Amino acid sequence: MIISKKVEFSASHICRSAELSDEENERVYGAASNPLGHGHNYIVEVAIEGAPEPVTGMILDLKHLKDILEARVLSVYDHRLLNREVEPFDRIVPTVENMAIDIWNRLAPHIDLTGRARLFSVRVHETNELFVEYRGE
Amino acid sequence: MTVHLSRRYTFAASHRLHSHQLSDAENRAIYGKCNNPNGHGHNYEVELTVRGEVDPVTGRAVDLFALDRLAEAQILRPFRYRNLNEEIEAFRLVVPTTENMAFEVDRRLRAVWAEVFPDAGPRLEKVRIWETERNICEISEA
Repeated sequence: MIISKKVEFSASHICRSAELSDEENERVYGAASNPLGHGHNYIVEVAIEGAPEPVTGMILDLKHLKDILEARVLSVYDHRLLNREVEPFDRIVPTVENMAIDIWNRLAPHIDLTGRARLFSVRVHETNELFVEYRGE
Repeated sequence: MTVHLSRRYTFAASHRLHSHQLSDAENRAIYGKCNNPNGHGHNYEVELTVRGEVDPVTGRAVDLFALDRLAEAQILRPFRYRNLNEEIEAFRLVVPTTENMAFEVDRRLRAVWAEVFPDAGPRLEKVRIWETERNICEISEA
């Protein structure tokens, strides 16, 4: 069984790779390569897989999940310039692909308190037209 | 690392649900008001899910501009503001239900996918099409 929770944060980023020329950055990222940055309201959906505990009927404590999301993701990402203020985006480009992978890495070790639940997927919506899902593969 | 990237597009079109293999009475019974001889329209949404490896330099799993151009050329430009039954060859005899539209979108994309995204590149994993907020059809890669 899979249970999902959705949270939001706002952040700015610059999609430019130091390993690419200005022309290549423009070709790959288009307007998102603006060196002064731009921002989005991101929506993060985390899906947890597990079996409900027979007594509580819950896969995991949702308050625990909320606290983990706040401590590991929102307090780190919200209202930040990702390239300057959030690791590893000082080294890799904060595309929505890399953000989904990073959020997975931040959350996965902390989801399971009881041996019943595991992180199944992280979806990051950058706009209404674009989202990425990462399943730790 | 493998990610599943989804991109949404929208277009408006009209259609009529009517099968030439059924009687008028049967068509009315099966399709109800969607069988109106004058047709009707929807704002369709198409969501394409692509499975790909994240490039270590660019951080991208798929060239979004190439995907947008492909969707525009194969789906949006041909379907936008069209009467699907009258103007899209595939729907002259096949009823343009959400199901058949999903098949047609999938077929049109796969027909040219390898030209845009060669062998080791991203793969088309899933096509979803919304006819309305309540009526959605999905096809996943076999």
